[in-house]
Amino acid sequence: MYNGLSLDQAPPISVVMRFFITVPFFGILLSALLFFYPDTVLIPNHPFSLASIHLMFLGVITMAMLGALFQMQSVLGGRPIPAPAGNAFLIHLFLLLGIIALTLAFTLLYPPLFIVAAVFLGSSILYGVKLILPLLFNGTSHDTLQGMKIALFALSLTALLGIVMATEYANEAFGTMHEMLRTIHYSLGLIGWIAVLIIAVAFQVVEMFYVTPSYSPWCKRNAFNIIAGALGFKTLWLVEGLPFVWVFDAIIGALLMGFIATTLKRLLKRKRRVSDVSIWFWLLGMGLLFLSLGLYGTYVASGSELFQTMALIAYVLFALSIILGMMGKIIPFLIWFHLNSAGYMDTPIMSNIITYSRAKALFVLFTLTVFFTLFGVIYNDLLRLGAMMGIAMFGLLLYNIISALKMYRYTLHHGMRFEQM
Amino acid sequence: MILLDTREFDHPIPLEMAVDAFKKLSGDEVIHMIHRREPIPLFEIIVKNGGRFRSIKIEENLWHIYITRSKTLDLEGIDV
Repeated sequence: MYNGLSLDQAPPISVVMRFFITVPFFGILLSALLFFYPDTVLIPNHPFSLASIHLMFLGVITMAMLGALFQMQSVLGGRPIPAPAGNAFLIHLFLLLGIIALTLAFTLLYPPLFIVAAVFLGSSILYGVKLILPLLFNGTSHDTLQGMKIALFALSLTALLGIVMATEYANEAFGTMHEMLRTIHYSLGLIGWIAVLIIAVAFQVVEMFYVTPSYSPWCKRNAFNIIAGALGFKTLWLVEGLPFVWVFDAIIGALLMGFIATTLKRLLKRKRRVSDVSIWFWLLGMGLLFLSLGLYGTYVASGSELFQTMALIAYVLFALSIILGMMGKIIPFLIWFHLNSAGYMDTPIMSNIITYSRAKALFVLFTLTVFFTLFGVIYNDLLRLGAMMGIAMFGLLLYNIISALKMYRYTLHHGMRFEQM
Repeated sequence: MILLDTREFDHPIPLEMAVDAFKKLSGDEVIHMIHRREPIPLFEIIVKNGGRFRSIKIEENLWHIYITRSKTLDLEGIDV
């Protein structure tokens, strides 16, 4: 009757939602840091700058992506995650405590907290990877699964290097290899984890959600191998101290340019031109990735740290744009799916769970956050405005999640089920 | 047979259309859904609510799905 996966494998709704609902809290905390310390957060390698980067990378991006992975693995991986509720609880709790400890360690400069952060973050991420990664090796050949494997592998290496560097911060003694470790750490995190997972998700959802032409088989087959190869050689080059490391950045940059072009082409060629806010987030995300690559190229050519900072900000905003767009699709779907699975006749339709007007308001606030934050790097006063927009945007995201969950609980308690008919 | 051609609709509208039709099914009625993918979450909803389905891949991006609430109807006997 059904060729492929067994049924009844979607994890409980709490598994994914506990990660998603935490995202806006860290987003607000990050925005508050930008608001109160707009000068210091822009100084490269300043503890407040590092706190901000990790709040974004771990508290917002990784938190959302791990939650989404729990859902994706169940649907695509073919084998459900064992004890999903308990495992998600542990991974989420340790991630939460680790991010708080790391933020406090950087902002208070209290060295023992780096050890606490390393223990919690290392346990959470490495345990999560150990849990999910083996389930992806089930003999199923699927391009998105291939991307998920590489992304999880890169995340675990990023975490391991993070632990090493946390011990350096805890001991306040930095080895001669610190700069090299740092470069590998952020290359694996930003490209190996974030970019690879977003590309893997795009291969799966762009044509499915928006009825677009498929990505070319060549593109799907080779994109991850090229990124993995370039990252692997870049790491080797850095370890050996060889010249021309920028060649590998150029290869990755060219591939990401190709990804932008091919994704935009598909989104603009979609069959039904219905207005969908998640498409705006994809389009803006592609624009931000393009901007980030351009700014990074300018930084490499000019050596100006201003461009490096702007490139990094544009890059994380690209990831955030895709995440916000996807959360706007996933949250209503999960509420709708779990209520229907439980047999509720009067399950709200998905477009009523997060209304179009609220989804649009979130996009407007995000666009304003992008504008003021990027220009805030040049005109520092604007950064505060960007932070205020960020607080409003994450506040609305929190409201959207809470109101969706309220709707879920209300239907659970008051809804009519099939058997009551 | 209730025909539901959802090939041109963005996700997740096809799922909403199919579940909506499923809720209104009675007796030996069958939904014949034509879709570009195999709608995995839909099957879970159907099965958990006492329904049955038959899913046939005709070619890449073309699936025919038959859904009923009848306990006795022979879905395998339907000509595709």
